[in-house]
Amino acid sequence: MTTTTRVTLPAGASAPPAPPPRRVKPRKDRAGYLFLLPWFIGMLFTVIPFFASLYLAFTDYNLLNAPQWIGLGNFREMLDDPLLRQSLKVTFIYTFVSVPLSLVVALGVAMLLNRGVRGLPIYRAVFYLPSLLGGSVAVVLLWRYIFGLDGVVNAFLGWFGIDGPAWTSDPDYALTTLIVLHIWTFGSPMVIFLAGLRQIPAMYYEAAAVDGASKWHQFRSITLPLLSPIIFFNLIQSLISSFQTFTQGFVLSSGTGGPADSTMFYNLYLYQQGFSQFNMGYASAMAWMLLVIIAAFTALNFLAAKYWVFYDN
Amino acid sequence: MTGEPVRNTPNRRDVLRMTGLAGLGLGLAACGRGFGGGDDEPAGGAVQLNMVWWGDAKRAEKTQAALDIFQRKHEGITVKIEYQDSGPYKDKLATRFAAGDPPDVMAMRMDSLREYADRGTLLDLGQHSGAVDLSGLSESARTLAAVGDKTYGVPAGLNAIGFVVNRTLTEKYGVSIPDGDTWSWADLASFARQVTQASGRKVYGTNFEAFTLANFIVFTRQHGEDFYTADGALGVSESTVVEWFEMVEAMRAEGGFPPAGFIEKVGASAEQSYLAKGSIASQIIPTNNFLAYNAAAGGNLALLRIPGETQAVRRGQSVDCPHLWSVAAATKHRDEALALLDFLANDVEASKATGTTRGVPANTSVAQEIKPSLEKDDQVATEYLAGLQKEKLPRSYTYPPGSSKIASSLESIAAEVEFKRQTPQQAAKTFLDTGRKALGK
Repeated sequence: MTTTTRVTLPAGASAPPAPPPRRVKPRKDRAGYLFLLPWFIGMLFTVIPFFASLYLAFTDYNLLNAPQWIGLGNFREMLDDPLLRQSLKVTFIYTFVSVPLSLVVALGVAMLLNRGVRGLPIYRAVFYLPSLLGGSVAVVLLWRYIFGLDGVVNAFLGWFGIDGPAWTSDPDYALTTLIVLHIWTFGSPMVIFLAGLRQIPAMYYEAAAVDGASKWHQFRSITLPLLSPIIFFNLIQSLISSFQTFTQGFVLSSGTGGPADSTMFYNLYLYQQGFSQFNMGYASAMAWMLLVIIAAFTALNFLAAKYWVFYDN
Repeated sequence: MTGEPVRNTPNRRDVLRMTGLAGLGLGLAACGRGFGGGDDEPAGGAVQLNMVWWGDAKRAEKTQAALDIFQRKHEGITVKIEYQDSGPYKDKLATRFAAGDPPDVMAMRMDSLREYADRGTLLDLGQHSGAVDLSGLSESARTLAAVGDKTYGVPAGLNAIGFVVNRTLTEKYGVSIPDGDTWSWADLASFARQVTQASGRKVYGTNFEAFTLANFIVFTRQHGEDFYTADGALGVSESTVVEWFEMVEAMRAEGGFPPAGFIEKVGASAEQSYLAKGSIASQIIPTNNFLAYNAAAGGNLALLRIPGETQAVRRGQSVDCPHLWSVAAATKHRDEALALLDFLANDVEASKATGTTRGVPANTSVAQEIKPSLEKDDQVATEYLAGLQKEKLPRSYTYPPGSSKIASSLESIAAEVEFKRQTPQQAAKTFLDTGRKALGK
């Protein structure tokens, strides 16, 4: 991460001293490009499908016959597609509930760990683990058992005399279950928060304490402003990835987006259109629509950032 | 931390840069999956056929045994199989066609047949009747893969749906099983209610999947309607859809059916079923899975017909197939692929090796010949099928393109009704509207 490499620089080091003049200037950039080569090759696999899907978005393409140009036909159809609206609703609820909550949890845990806990690397690893696994098939399956009708959660609720619902098969609760799963995977923003917290100089807090500022006040006036770029980064990252959620809905519902389309994420619907219903043109149009949506929210965030993100340089 | 004020929080440009890089990473990760298939043809004039299907390891073992015989009989042809679960299979097959790399021989789902056939990607077997002999098949078996005057596959086997009842449970709770040939839907309801009551709600009387199209189609046919008409439109009436949902909800209300949300999607195999767990006493299964379900549920299942067959306007049950064997129109090894199809359909040794994992052999004389060598449970299923084939059943038409959308919408609408988010009337209307739109008529 950029933050950790920069910590090794000596304080106040601006530009490195200019190298002594030489007669032959070595081509330093050649090695750089050599190291970048795998990335350029990988880019081909992104760039070609990228433009292909842009073209397909304006066609009627059933995977089996050559695509037929239909102009804006797919986009017009999207206006009148109830399932598309449902998938947008599911994705938006999921994103706007789970992203803020998981960031709050991540920041909270990061602050707890930052208070000089012994065995920090172990805790950090333990909390980070779920975010490595959270998107995996095995964990969603496990989650299905934990939240099953006779699962751990309902057994726990049973101790308090609460008759728990069918968390994964009831359309009113299935999405909630996935939101909880998302919040549980707070590890990767947490690790970034933790790195950010450690960059805040202790002397600010010392000075504030001398002036008699409460812990809450210190948090509001020192931690939050100095951490705001990190919060901003995490926010953007989480938003982008959560708009693209697929696995959780796919595994929980065995690919159907059920029960009653309650876990029909935008990407899951896109996948169904493309691969189950042979509407690859429509699926491509949906993919571009998602790109526009994500870009719009990211742009909005960058605009809003002017008012709350504090860059101390 | 050092005491020195090190300024290391990232600036605006860093955040932008990190966001961009991470975004690219996501994009690349999404493209990281490769596709299977690929040409690794053996050298020296030998032909390698690529054959794909869905199923489990047990089916793979039986299929391989048949293919070994084929390879012995046909020097110079090797068959490379690929198999997986039915869900991902469907997606992968579509991708292979899209990539211009279709398999030579493939398992074709009945509800996908016309998606492929109507687009000219499958070989018309009618043009090659010399290579694949279809004369041994019964009329109903031959027409399964017929679209207009063309034939796009051979049934990999014949099956039907059947009602299985766990006798261990009914004996334990002292509930008698109605006559399986003549029982009505009302008989099923009262049977189910009695089981639930007698067991003190430990076991629910029945849980047939209201959201599975094949089950609903039998009910539709009993009402004298074709779910799909000959010209590929929806033939089911709104009142029949309403009646189906009302019947299920009535059983749920009186306890014969488990409460909403009780059945969770835990997996598709017989071992994972609620019948095997003993929490329900009866359900509908495809008959070719009878052996697997009976083994999983303790070996005491009875196989009944679908209720309502004798009371209905006409017969609802039909002889179907779990899937067809089809050949890609673009295959480079047409003759070899057709030889394999002929072998699978008409060779007694082939059917002995595969058993009835894909149903009863479509060739009637082969079916008779292998029957004595089958396991007892497979014989039960074979007799069930033979019984149905002797009777006059109304013809069913191939699923038109767009029917996969209809199948998935039935599933989602059935959940709406189950959780009382929609009345059967609302659900029926939504279902038919969605269906007509999907079929474009």
